Amino acid sequence: MTEKTDIIIQNIVATTSICRSLDLVSILKALDEGAVYEPETFPGLVYHLKDPKTASLIFSSGKLVCTGAKSVADVKRAIGIVVERLVKAGFEVDESPDILVQNIVATSDLHTQINLTKLAIAMGMENVEYEPEVFPGLVYRVRDPKVVALLFCSGKVVCTGAKRNEDLHLAMGKIRAELMGVGML
Amino acid sequence: MPEEDANTDSCPECGSTHLVRDYQRGELVCEDCGLVVDEEYIDQGPEWRAFDAEQGQKRARTGAPMTYTIHDKGLSTTIGWKNKDSYGKSIPTRNRAQLYRLRKWQRRIRVSNATERNLAFALTQLDRMASNMGLPRNIRETAAMIYRKAVHNNLIRGRSIDGVVAASLYAACRQCGVPRTLDEIATVSRVGRKEIGRTYRFMIRELKLKLMPTSPEDYISRFCSELKLDGTVQAKAAEILAEAADNELTSGRGPTGVAAAAIYIASILCNQRRTQREVADVAGVTEVTIRNRYKELTEKLHIKVEI
Repeated sequence: MTEKTDIIIQNIVATTSICRSLDLVSILKALDEGAVYEPETFPGLVYHLKDPKTASLIFSSGKLVCTGAKSVADVKRAIGIVVERLVKAGFEVDESPDILVQNIVATSDLHTQINLTKLAIAMGMENVEYEPEVFPGLVYRVRDPKVVALLFCSGKVVCTGAKRNEDLHLAMGKIRAELMGVGML
Repeated sequence: MPEEDANTDSCPECGSTHLVRDYQRGELVCEDCGLVVDEEYIDQGPEWRAFDAEQGQKRARTGAPMTYTIHDKGLSTTIGWKNKDSYGKSIPTRNRAQLYRLRKWQRRIRVSNATERNLAFALTQLDRMASNMGLPRNIRETAAMIYRKAVHNNLIRGRSIDGVVAASLYAACRQCGVPRTLDEIATVSRVGRKEIGRTYRFMIRELKLKLMPTSPEDYISRFCSELKLDGTVQAKAAEILAEAADNELTSGRGPTGVAAAAIYIASILCNQRRTQREVADVAGVTEVTIRNRYKELTEKLHIKVEI
């Protein structure tokens, strides 16, 4: 099964709650460079980490959003680092918060050219969206797991909306099966 | 009288579709089993033979035909502006004020509630946009039909009337095989192309309309005539596109861009050269797009173009 290995996770978005309320201005002063807080443009404090390369958005409600991680382990590591630094700076935060993965974006390659027009007709116009005038890719919404896949004529696939790694593999498997079913693969 | 014509195209007894209209008796008869499906119906045909649409209109027995582009389907009556009674005698002065009031109220009552008022407003918008783009009757009817369906399914709620009208028009154009680009619709509408596209996708999904993705071929004749190119160029462009489709060069690319490039190449091959700028303006794409597609097409299809 070499098929499973070519799903590459590009981005993971996860949320967590580290305390009830935070004073972002004092956090901005306490954290080193990499922290940006501009209430005019964005209500949250953006904290960039070099390793793992992620951006954490910290809000005054104590909620934290971690974006840009390439694996679930990285998410945990990134949030751990942020929390640790906050604790070091003397803020009262939850040191082991529950992390909730909200979205996983992954890419894959079918290694074949796809004729999207034919595919759209073969898969039934009501199941897929293909408007070359608006977007060059074909949008295929998988019901279960609830994942949206974008298929491009180069054979590349972008998969978004998954909450778990297994969902990605399941969805890609379904897409492959679907494509096989209509004889496009 | 049946509400829709849809249920009278097959016999309820035997399911046969051989229904014959007997105009002498005013009956709709099944030819296979002899069942009278409908009786005493109105002969909507013209009085006698007509040789074109204009004559047909003139000789129609009844008034204006039913149309979906007017909110009451054009079936309501209006009190005429002439102060004459049914005998052609003029109405005495003392009754004129009354008639004036009646006329005023009838005009107001024509639109009975908010839903209908919205529909009337939407349909005038539709007509305005269609006239602006010079769209024919059948497309306007189709668009009005789609809009009415959208209203019926409660799809307008939460969306702007203008957006839904524009989306209906876009869908109607595609359904009739003469697609307009979203940009073209957006220029005559008050909403942006993104909004139109979004509403369109939503309506397609909810109304379960089945529309093929637009193909570059659909644009050729229109773009060619706008560029004042003749039939040979059109044929050549169509030929190029057919070949391009076989070589997987059209999938995943904007149909207008591919069409524009094909027309550009065809115009050079037929010695009726148009500049990239001219073609780009008509197609609503940039020159860069044309150059890219041009390169793809000429290289992959081995077309020799001497400039």
